[in-house]
Amino acid sequence: MEKLGIEKTSSSYTTPGSRACLLDLLCTETPLWGCQGDLYLLGPQQRLNKFLSESGNTICADCASPDPKWVSLNLGAVICIKCSGVHRSLGVHVSKVLSVKLDQWTHEQVNSLIDLGGNSTVNMKYEACTPGNIKKPNPDSSVHERIDFIRRKYQLQQFSRCDQLITPCPFPAGYSKCTQKAQSFSVISPPSPSCLQNSKLYDKQATKTRIGNAFRNSWVRKEFENKSCRKKAALTNLQAGMVEFVGLIKVNIVRGMNLAIRDMLTSDPYVIISLGQQSVKTRFIRSNLNPIWNECLMLSIPDDVPPLKVLVYDKDTFKSDDFMGEGEIDIQPLLSTARANEKSGMANSMPLDNALVKNSLIKLVDGKVKQDITLRLQKVETGELHIELECVPLTQ
Amino acid sequence: MGIVFTRLFSSLFGNREARILVLGLDNAGKTTILYRLQMGEVVSTIPTIGFNVETVQYNNIKFQVWDLGGQTSIRPYWRCYFPNTQAIIYVVDSSDTDRLVIAKDEFHAILEEEELKGAVVLIFANKQDLPGALDAAAITEALELHKIKSRQWSIFKTSAIKGEGLFEGLDWLSNTLKSGGG
Repeated sequence: MEKLGIEKTSSSYTTPGSRACLLDLLCTETPLWGCQGDLYLLGPQQRLNKFLSESGNTICADCASPDPKWVSLNLGAVICIKCSGVHRSLGVHVSKVLSVKLDQWTHEQVNSLIDLGGNSTVNMKYEACTPGNIKKPNPDSSVHERIDFIRRKYQLQQFSRCDQLITPCPFPAGYSKCTQKAQSFSVISPPSPSCLQNSKLYDKQATKTRIGNAFRNSWVRKEFENKSCRKKAALTNLQAGMVEFVGLIKVNIVRGMNLAIRDMLTSDPYVIISLGQQSVKTRFIRSNLNPIWNECLMLSIPDDVPPLKVLVYDKDTFKSDDFMGEGEIDIQPLLSTARANEKSGMANSMPLDNALVKNSLIKLVDGKVKQDITLRLQKVETGELHIELECVPLTQ
Repeated sequence: MGIVFTRLFSSLFGNREARILVLGLDNAGKTTILYRLQMGEVVSTIPTIGFNVETVQYNNIKFQVWDLGGQTSIRPYWRCYFPNTQAIIYVVDSSDTDRLVIAKDEFHAILEEEELKGAVVLIFANKQDLPGALDAAAITEALELHKIKSRQWSIFKTSAIKGEGLFEGLDWLSNTLKSGGG
């Protein structure tokens, strides 16, 4: 099995066209640690997965969303992506967030996480004395509810000590707006300097994020739309980058075959691929109708899973580039297969259930869900592209 | 603030296009900076799985800022976005002292990339609002910025939450690009 070249974080970039991808990372753990004793018969990722499957760790410690994929390493909490955003905003002196799937774990990190006991232990500590009128966030809670609860729970540790009575943390006047309800209870730890400082920061977030959130996260977009549409003009401009991603797709533009002639005798072709509003392109190759790019491009898959569009152009210096054909690939089957594969957690060598795949073009190679495509270009006299796709679903 | 941003760039660039990558370790504050610059607002972010890209058309200027996710396994894909980049904004969480070595290694790996040879580099020593944040001099040392050769660079103390330092940095960036750097 190939290893992804990111074990050393420096000089870690994989070469274009190399087969390294996220799934390598997920699958790198092989039982080679045996020499270090029974404890390390499993790789860190496997030990982590085992830990995550234990009761208490299968739902977010803060909002109970199922199947959380993020971890606060120093607090020991397994959390969902939405809550992880809040944890991150508190700073690493409060919570150090790692991704189960997108970070590379060491045995030491897994050890320290396991030592903290998992979500049940964490919540026994940090929610020991949660006042009855404090409601834990649920999977549908707004970002404000999450911010409020998570700050109180971990940063201010207001719910961990029952014997402390307490003056409210002196939030600035503007603060009351979205936390009025929560403030009505009276068990709050004494204000610390950091409390003062952060309440200020928090106030800013609470009042200012309402619009930003709507842009950033589709899960609050609806809420936003019901409110006044200040900056609506900007919205259309801004939606490009601000979509929720359901996965990553790695597109290896391998080569072109019999491409169309756009200059005197040949062309200088390059490929643009786009998914939703994202678009990336390869370098152009001079004077070649059968170019080999072997260039890897990564795109995030937005939750509406648009088709992957492929455009080929001839690079021109003094005039606008000439069109050399286009194509479209439906990536839904690939994504569905990758999701099914992830769910079943099947071993690398097992054959792929092709029920989802009409043309059996999708295959499982070393745990990676891949698709080889020869795309006949449309709206052009001639030309084909050989493309390799690889999909990594992200269930966050 | 977004308007200031616009004017700044439109006055300096004329008809130019500028492609800028915002890079840095996960949770450095890249996305917060991007939207702070664009909207003048502090947004609540979730980890960027993939990237955010904002193309902003102002007068005759197309200004493209790419904010790429910083998680370990996304970093290898940064290089897919290197071609035709005029500038890198490298963002560091100045309070995350444990990971400054990793931040340094990633930074110097980027500088070695052939495709970024001509790119100017702006470093944001971000999260100055947090306790224990190192100042620009300490970050300069930790990132070993003195090792940078034949490239224009500068470092600024920033707080994306407070909106401090960002525009001073962009000021430098636009002046540098205008004078032919990148």
